[in-house]
Amino acid sequence: MTQLAFDAAVNLQLAIGGVALGSIYGIVALGFVLVFKSTGVLNLAQGDFLMLGAYLSVTLLLTNDLGLYMAIPLLALFMGFLGLSVHYSVMRHLVGQPFFSIVLVTIGIGTIIRAVLLMVYGPIEKGRLRALPEGSFKIGSVQVLWANVIIIAIIALILLMFVMFFRLTRLGLHIRAVADNLEAAAAQGIRPDSVYAMTWGVSLALVGIAGLLFGNVNNVTPAASTIGLAALPAAVIGGFSSLGGAIVGGLIVGVVEILLGYHLGQSWRQPSAFMLLFIILLVKPTGLFGGKEFERV
Amino acid sequence: MSYSVDSHPVFRRVTTDYRQEIRSIGRTGSRGLAVTVVVLGILLPWAFSRDVSPPFAFPWSTWAAVLNLSLLSALGATAFNVLVGYTGQLSLAHAGFLTVGAMTTGYLGTEAGLPFLVVLVLGTVVGAVVGILVGLPALRLKGYYLLLATLGVYFISQLAWKEFLVANYGFVGMIVDRPQLPAFTSGWPLIGTDTGEGLILSNNFRWYIVLAPICILVMLFLSNLTRSREGRAFAAVRERDVSASLIGIDVARTKLLAFAVSSAVVTLSGALSSYYLSARGEDSFPFAVTLNFAIMIVVGGFSSIQGAIFGAVFFHAMPELTKWIRSEAPVLRDIDYLRTHSGEIDLLIFGALVVLVLTTRPDGLAGLWAQIKGWFTKWPFST
Repeated sequence: MTQLAFDAAVNLQLAIGGVALGSIYGIVALGFVLVFKSTGVLNLAQGDFLMLGAYLSVTLLLTNDLGLYMAIPLLALFMGFLGLSVHYSVMRHLVGQPFFSIVLVTIGIGTIIRAVLLMVYGPIEKGRLRALPEGSFKIGSVQVLWANVIIIAIIALILLMFVMFFRLTRLGLHIRAVADNLEAAAAQGIRPDSVYAMTWGVSLALVGIAGLLFGNVNNVTPAASTIGLAALPAAVIGGFSSLGGAIVGGLIVGVVEILLGYHLGQSWRQPSAFMLLFIILLVKPTGLFGGKEFERV
Repeated sequence: MSYSVDSHPVFRRVTTDYRQEIRSIGRTGSRGLAVTVVVLGILLPWAFSRDVSPPFAFPWSTWAAVLNLSLLSALGATAFNVLVGYTGQLSLAHAGFLTVGAMTTGYLGTEAGLPFLVVLVLGTVVGAVVGILVGLPALRLKGYYLLLATLGVYFISQLAWKEFLVANYGFVGMIVDRPQLPAFTSGWPLIGTDTGEGLILSNNFRWYIVLAPICILVMLFLSNLTRSREGRAFAAVRERDVSASLIGIDVARTKLLAFAVSSAVVTLSGALSSYYLSARGEDSFPFAVTLNFAIMIVVGGFSSIQGAIFGAVFFHAMPELTKWIRSEAPVLRDIDYLRTHSGEIDLLIFGALVVLVLTTRPDGLAGLWAQIKGWFTKWPFST
């Protein structure tokens, strides 16, 4: 309990930070929902992939000093290939297995990633990446950090590309078709296997970029994998099967987390997202934007 | 997820009346096996505790600790299995129930100074109540929504645990004294005698003598529960709760019962393990604890009690085995990297094994065991 002074400017300033953090959660949740919608896999390794993205950006940005313009595409490419290999090496063998077994396999993959990262980078935390410009400007009495503006802009750009990918390209159409109705899509000559692989690729590319941006607002530590779990409430608040909902959910979680963390103390940050989730689920069991689920006997 | 090794035709016992059907240990062969297991189950841990070293330069005495930890985890994993495997209610709150156990130990055991056994009984009751409270959302939520809501319960429990530690112990963490058993236990054979009135649980073998009966009783209770009317109601709710309600099962009651039983046993395990480990800090209940339970039951085999035991032993024995291999195997022991990065390598092997077991054998180690058993049962005709 630090202080309970509700200063509008401070709160607005915090909220902007919350939107930046929330948009990062948003694209992690987006990758999560994407995989869930098209392949039916609940990927609990998402936090570990976020951590992988953050650590790889340490190598790209700090060790090799590539600029952001080089680092982001390289990271997306690498994570994309990792996604393909996750599908082809493990996930494709698990189609049709019980839901919970597949969830645990993703946890196993997450464990492997965490172990490898600890072996390569060691257990000591890396600090922030500081690849985004420092400094801030003022609107009225509200201090706005340039870093937050740039994060929001980059994510808006990525979302635009994402939407165009789904609307305009053939592959995007295939992914939507498979997510909508697997049998009908397969009957049209779409190969679900390669579509699944591409979905994993796209999802991990998103998470990788999120990791890079995350490393700029938080320290890069092995704890990032648990922090990445905050993307799960974001996805559920948005309604799990809704891609737009994931983004909105991410923004809500980010803002609530930062504001509650400031007013009630940092130890409330992580529980706050889940408490919010709890409350929303009790009122609306399928999330804010989730469609009604019918059940047949 | 409805796979049961027992339902496989090969392992069905041929019975002629109901009394035979409800026996836990049916045939003469399995009776012999049971007696052997009981004798070995007492003598081997005793030998470990006496440092009787059988062949190989193998650290036998460390296995007493592995055994106790496996028993504690087997309790938790079996209870988790009753909820997730039998009733189909996905829950990630179980590390939270362990925390509740530790907190009850703290309040009743260290603060109020109640005796060990009383704390265990009260802790189980508290656990059941907490389980019912946590189970309430399950009446409205299903599948992965329930999974994530219970994840929320876990984070709330951690918040409470941190507040509890700061309020009562500062930042040192909770320290629990060695528990003492009632007076009638001193002077039992094999254990050794204390001068005081009751036996103080100060070594692994004494702990084993306490943990093993508790474990056996709880397992017996749970396995009987799953074979009873309530257990069949669990399975019906797992398969489809709407259909279950149509054949007259009170779905709300069944779900809450499953949550209560599961939480009670996990809380018991949490209370026992805070006594056994005697120190519990801020990070003693990471999210990974629940995942480890999940990994134990799935690696061991879903919806089977022996699966949970297999899984728990696998989980605790594996690091000891790799440690032994690292220090003794001819070439490996000379590689420094393996010694300096042992934790990471264990994590890596663990993750890889989980992925490997689940991709190659989705029914887990219990399935493998069933296959081996089946090969011998069908012997002249086995393929």
